[in-house]
Amino acid sequence: MKAVLLLIALLVSPTAWANSMRVVAMPGSSPLVTFKIVFLTGAASDPAGKPGTANLTAAMLARGGSVKMPYRDIVDAMFPMATSVDHQVDKEMTTFSAVTHVDNLDSFYELFRAMLLEPGWRAEDLKRLRDVAINAIRVNLRGNNDEELGKEVLYNLIYKGHPYGHLNMGTVSSLEKLALDDLKAFYRSQYTQANLILGIAGGYPPAFLDRVKKDFGSLPAGKPAAAKRPAPAPIQGLQLHMVEKNTRSVAISFGFPMDVRRGHPDFLPLLVMQSWLGQHRASGGRLYDRMREARGLNYGDYAYIEYFPNGMFQFEPDPNLVRPQQIFQVWIRPLEPPTAHFGLRLALFELDRMIRHGLTEEEFQRTRSFLSKQVNLLTRTKPAELGYAIDSLYYVIPDFNSYVKTGLAKLTRETVNQAIQKHLQARNMQIVVIASGCQELSKKLLAGEPSPMSYNSPKPGDILQEDKIVQSWKIDLKPENVRIVPVDQVFE
Amino acid sequence: MRTTVALLLFCVLAATAAAQQQKIFPYDYEQHDFSNGMRLITVPTDFPNVVALYIVVQTGSRNEIEPGKTGFAHFFEHMMFRGTKEFPPDKYNSVLKEAGASFNAFTSDDLTAYHTTFSKPDLETILRMEADRFQNLEYAEGVFKTEALAVLGEYNKNSASPMMKISETLRGLAFTTHTYKHTTMGFLEDIKDMPNQYDYSRKFFDRYYRPEYTTLIVAGDVDKAAAKKLVEKYWGPWKRGSYTAPVPAEPPQKEAQKGHIDWPTPTLPWLVLAFRAPAYSDTTKETATLDLITFLGFSENSPLYRKLVLEEQKVDVLRATYQDHIDPYLLTVMTRVKKQEDMDSVREQILSALAGFKDNLVKEEELDKVKRHIRYSFALAMDNSEAIASTLAHYVALRRTPETMNRVFELYSQITPEDVRAVARKYFLESGRTTVTLTGASK
Repeated sequence: MKAVLLLIALLVSPTAWANSMRVVAMPGSSPLVTFKIVFLTGAASDPAGKPGTANLTAAMLARGGSVKMPYRDIVDAMFPMATSVDHQVDKEMTTFSAVTHVDNLDSFYELFRAMLLEPGWRAEDLKRLRDVAINAIRVNLRGNNDEELGKEVLYNLIYKGHPYGHLNMGTVSSLEKLALDDLKAFYRSQYTQANLILGIAGGYPPAFLDRVKKDFGSLPAGKPAAAKRPAPAPIQGLQLHMVEKNTRSVAISFGFPMDVRRGHPDFLPLLVMQSWLGQHRASGGRLYDRMREARGLNYGDYAYIEYFPNGMFQFEPDPNLVRPQQIFQVWIRPLEPPTAHFGLRLALFELDRMIRHGLTEEEFQRTRSFLSKQVNLLTRTKPAELGYAIDSLYYVIPDFNSYVKTGLAKLTRETVNQAIQKHLQARNMQIVVIASGCQELSKKLLAGEPSPMSYNSPKPGDILQEDKIVQSWKIDLKPENVRIVPVDQVFE
Repeated sequence: MRTTVALLLFCVLAATAAAQQQKIFPYDYEQHDFSNGMRLITVPTDFPNVVALYIVVQTGSRNEIEPGKTGFAHFFEHMMFRGTKEFPPDKYNSVLKEAGASFNAFTSDDLTAYHTTFSKPDLETILRMEADRFQNLEYAEGVFKTEALAVLGEYNKNSASPMMKISETLRGLAFTTHTYKHTTMGFLEDIKDMPNQYDYSRKFFDRYYRPEYTTLIVAGDVDKAAAKKLVEKYWGPWKRGSYTAPVPAEPPQKEAQKGHIDWPTPTLPWLVLAFRAPAYSDTTKETATLDLITFLGFSENSPLYRKLVLEEQKVDVLRATYQDHIDPYLLTVMTRVKKQEDMDSVREQILSALAGFKDNLVKEEELDKVKRHIRYSFALAMDNSEAIASTLAHYVALRRTPETMNRVFELYSQITPEDVRAVARKYFLESGRTTVTLTGASK
């Protein structure tokens, strides 16, 4: 099935990269050529006091001109090829992706090479891209996407005081101050051969790869990235952070740090847990079944053990969001305000239930079977296959399909339930709520009064019995652990 | 096989002149009609192991002809996951989980599509289970009422973005009679009333979930004869229906329409200009020409985009869409303006760009760039079996055959500067225009 996968790389720990570029090459007969040019740097390397530097630097390369060509001419040249360059910046990884038809390989690559290796650093591009970043924070995230806002606030709070403790896009006040010199300095120090992984797949001629390697060999050698990150501060008790916003419904996310990443012995057991409790955007997860299917509380409810941005727009995770540290997270989709208290209680009740009882043998078998086959779908496109291969290089694991299939085959129900016991808990966590009327909702949550449900149709006895427990489920909140902030201060 | 398709694609795109002689859809598909009216399109691809199944029902919010029933096609899409005697929801989910399948559904104006992507050995299991729910769907009133709340939840999650409100307002103004007047999501008051519409839901199933409305697309690592045999076995007994929806025709728009939305929270202003435009056609040049105009006028390399987005930087979003529809719909230009005081001048510049197509002939060179762009876009999108099936589903909802793609791409290749001018003169009329603006609250 797979194209030949050549990992021209030293398989070493990500904390000790070699000082030379790595290449992930997947030659094949497709008429399309896929590029992923990856630098092991990102928002975690933003200079102190200058959040957003990594993101804006990458935007200047992917959405700005080169030395020879202003951006408008690059756009004009790429338009007939139907190609453009995408960029993605996360904490540890910056990725430039593009797909071109082999007809246009030479002309596209010349533009792409110049964009990444000979950036134009024009003031007009900075002005435009700074506006894009500020509007992405103020309008797209804070104004128009309560769910993503809740998730990003959750990450920021969990990693407060940590290199991960700011939004990848930065803050409005920082973006307003960033100058071309800041971006150039970041480019010089971070865009190095030591940080580089060249990814390429498809029907390119054999000599083409040598040309790419030679071109990117002009980058400074650099030093290996320091991937060791401090542990985030432990969360004491339940912390409630509410964002006051004039909005129709109530968006909730909660979670806590979890030091398990791909390659960790408990990663696959927890992948089974994640899928059973809340497989992303799929029916059949426990939270989805109990909250949406049985009770009609909202549109869906899911669980995560890896960072998964833009979940409301896509069904599958993007690759190249590697992080040596992750969090456990539950995403409750918007609730009607009268049911918000009950909805949060039910999610916490289900988490507690899973920790106490674990999965049954049948649930374990079914979930494992699902994941063993679903992995084929995750890597079914060339960009995904290439992206996962690059991630596997970072995590020092075999190719993702083999890693998941082989690892799952060895699991037992006991190993899954032991991992749940070891890593999950419901006592110390951060809860984020985006709502109108936060003051009133916080009072209810603190008072702990029952929050009974009423339904528009008769419900089975077991649901009604369970409701009696859930409606009084204790959320152990202390007044000093509750904060309410107006939305216009978030990420400002 | 892989090499054959690769070479074929290469040939299709190698040279413009040659490309115009070649079909855009390079796959050796088979189209088969069963005696009950259902159609099967099987597309073997060179992507191994994976199969994508798209079940396209030619029913969408366009079919919501009765007052008070907006949003029902989409709601019904939800109900299709509520199971049968043989496969109740738990079992249905278990089978798909066991297969590692990814599955979902979507509804738009003209179609409802149910799609599943899975590994090759599970083809029979999935065809059988899907045939069962299309023929034997059963759900109790209580389950129906609960699912109506999940639809309300979907409305809620969409409501934080101004896009839904803009779409509701635009359609409300641009249409007086046709069901395109409402969004696929439906009016909030109708969504709130959905729990009371159990009997209507059975009627909806009886009308539209019939073989003559349905096309199966099976794309991927699949054998044509084997797929046909399996589909015949499980879908053959399905009974043909007799209902045709009397969708009311929209009379011509007589005068320009305008609407404004005061958004309750801070956001950047939006300006939307829409023109009445013809229904999808693969036999006349008009729709193909209007498609090309959306690129000529508003793509990233258009003069207006350069000026407003890159040079003056007055707007950060500028795009035009002309979505294929069964009945006449809208060509829409949308822009997000950075400062409210620039809205009038931006509107004038958009109108001036459109007027330019009426007054001047576009350069052949610019037209050729757009033609190359759309052919390469198409080729780049065909990078896996699911994408192939999904692209096909869109066209199948309109004409029930992949040939329509070949015909419409052939039309693109024939469009001349004179065609562009003639179509612009016919459709960019003030009387056919609807303008919607949205401005946010100050802090």
